[in-house]
Amino acid sequence: MQLFFQDLVNGILTGGILALVALGFSLVWGIMNIINLAHGTFIMLGAYVTYQLFVSFHLDPFLCIPIAFVVLFALGYVTQLSIINYVVRAPVLTTFLLTFGLSLLLENVILLIWTGDTRSVTTGYSGAHLDVGGITIPLVKLLTLVIALAIGGLTQLWLARTKLGRAIRATSMDVGAAQLTGVRVAHVYAIVFALSAGLAGAAGSLISVSYAFSPSSATPFLIKGFIVCVLGGLGSVQGALVGGLVYGIVETFASQYIGAGYADAVALAVLLVILVFRPTGIMGRATA
Amino acid sequence: MKTRSLALALALAFAAVVAGPSVSAVRAADDTIVFGAAVSLTGSLAKEGHLTQEGYDFWKDWINAHGGMKVAGKTYKVDIKYYDDESSPQTAARLVEKLIDQDHVGFILGPYGSGTTFSAAAVAERKKVPMVEGNGAAERIFNQGYRYTFGILSPARRYLEGIVDMGKAQTPKPKTLAISASNDLFSVEVQQGVVDYAKAHGIDVVYTAKYPENSTDVSAVISAIKAAHPDIILNAGHTNDALLVHKGLKEQNVQAMIYGYSVGPDTPDFRNALGRDANYVFGSAQWSDAVKYKGEKGFIPSAPQYAAEFQKKFGHKPDYHNAESTAACLAFQYAMQRGGSLDTEKVRDALAKLDVTTFFGILKFDSRGLNVFKPMVVNQIQNGELVTVWPAGLAQAKVAWPTPVWAKR
Repeated sequence: MQLFFQDLVNGILTGGILALVALGFSLVWGIMNIINLAHGTFIMLGAYVTYQLFVSFHLDPFLCIPIAFVVLFALGYVTQLSIINYVVRAPVLTTFLLTFGLSLLLENVILLIWTGDTRSVTTGYSGAHLDVGGITIPLVKLLTLVIALAIGGLTQLWLARTKLGRAIRATSMDVGAAQLTGVRVAHVYAIVFALSAGLAGAAGSLISVSYAFSPSSATPFLIKGFIVCVLGGLGSVQGALVGGLVYGIVETFASQYIGAGYADAVALAVLLVILVFRPTGIMGRATA
Repeated sequence: MKTRSLALALALAFAAVVAGPSVSAVRAADDTIVFGAAVSLTGSLAKEGHLTQEGYDFWKDWINAHGGMKVAGKTYKVDIKYYDDESSPQTAARLVEKLIDQDHVGFILGPYGSGTTFSAAAVAERKKVPMVEGNGAAERIFNQGYRYTFGILSPARRYLEGIVDMGKAQTPKPKTLAISASNDLFSVEVQQGVVDYAKAHGIDVVYTAKYPENSTDVSAVISAIKAAHPDIILNAGHTNDALLVHKGLKEQNVQAMIYGYSVGPDTPDFRNALGRDANYVFGSAQWSDAVKYKGEKGFIPSAPQYAAEFQKKFGHKPDYHNAESTAACLAFQYAMQRGGSLDTEKVRDALAKLDVTTFFGILKFDSRGLNVFKPMVVNQIQNGELVTVWPAGLAQAKVAWPTPVWAKR
């Protein structure tokens, strides 16, 4: 029983990071209809920015989150206006090729700057844990979950309450109508893409503390983000959060009770079953 | 890796433009022996690929700086032509074919990694061109009946045996063992080997698991290990796995007598990334700069000397990936010199008969082309430094024992 609850805790904590990994990816996909294959590389950039600040200035990795967010936000904004904007209306294969090319380019830039070494940020409090009735709760991952939820909540508030947030949601529902009411679509898209990259940066900061990473770690996170998005439903904060948690828990239990080698297979089987009953994902709306 | 294959296929078109294989001019002149190698300069094995290339380059430059290589009375310069296999087995196979067909290279040095070596070996065999590899330890490469592939490494099955032996020599004696493995060609063989070995030596194997390659989270594996209460915790994988598992073990406060990894502790990455938590960790290695082999004439004879010259050239100490790559070149060198010929068939025959001691250890192959004659060494991280602690005859320092609780490392 103790093992069961330990796995539940592990699953939820893993799910928190996955939710943040998927959140930015989901926004761009849901609002701009672009599947950004460079999202995983954006996450890695966030992890490397954090790593560099930690090594050079001994800055606490959790304090690096806003910095990674801002750096990636700026990169995302520029990328959208200078590159992505040209293919917003293009067929899906074109955006695939462009964002995939972008991810290759960035991955090689990371390789040039930071080499292929495997990195991880280990602080004085890494590995600190709470012991609750025999269940170990790693503090860093708990904090990560809390921050992931907070960022998700803030994003949701911003989308719901601010003028720009409403413009974004309007654009997501009907581009033409939004344009007619005076929404500057190009600007909205740039903000969404920048926000998505910023969220990737924040996710990268959190990943750098809990996991190990190298330039090629982008792909596994991209794939997980993809699955979580589809699972939870596109374009919404709740979708990413629910999808992330469900995926994290299913994967952990599958790994424990069916076999570590089957973790991915079982998680994907669950995805299929859910899509049969809810084709737009757990939280997805029929109109999304 | 399967999930990446579509991506990699798309990448090929880009790669020609973006990454571009590094092309060095082949000197067709008769007084240069040209070797060919496809190594991973980008992709998931980029780190180890660069170490491999350094090892090869060190040998090439050393030979050329010392007047070249004498074969049958004539002195030759040596050169190596490289391509980037992007860490992909398919690409490695294609590039080895290109090296042989288009660049007319007669001798192949292996890529990094068991997967890439496995596919490169098939091409070398088909083209009847000898390949010596120092970076693919999976035994499956050598169970295909190939005649042209020679591996200078101790095979994967033997990787973690030394840690079990070392543990058995300590008091209190560890009695139980848990091992997780990344589900790749090399790691699965490492796991199977040590499970068989432990059982044969009276250690109870209480937990085994294979998790998917490139996993980002192994917390379920960690909690299962914790529930099994093993004395020895081992992992078969690569540096990324070692870091992921070791961080996870601390997070979930898993105590054991021995923490051992097939790959990881030997690289500075591991110590840099973990800091104090890396102390007391054991790692197996093909080689360390403390081993006491006496090499024969023709190249740097001792490991410390190799390490010193290597440091001078590249600005960092060699790890075993560097050394094993240099040793692969040495197998060619001694086979060519002893066989007295540069004919590919004759070089192959000389390799099959080779029996030479180098700074790296003995280079000698069984009928499958596998070097089963060299033992692995066990290193331990003590106060942030990597020291060789096993086998006793090659050791630098005593085993730091027992491993204290996490907070006191």
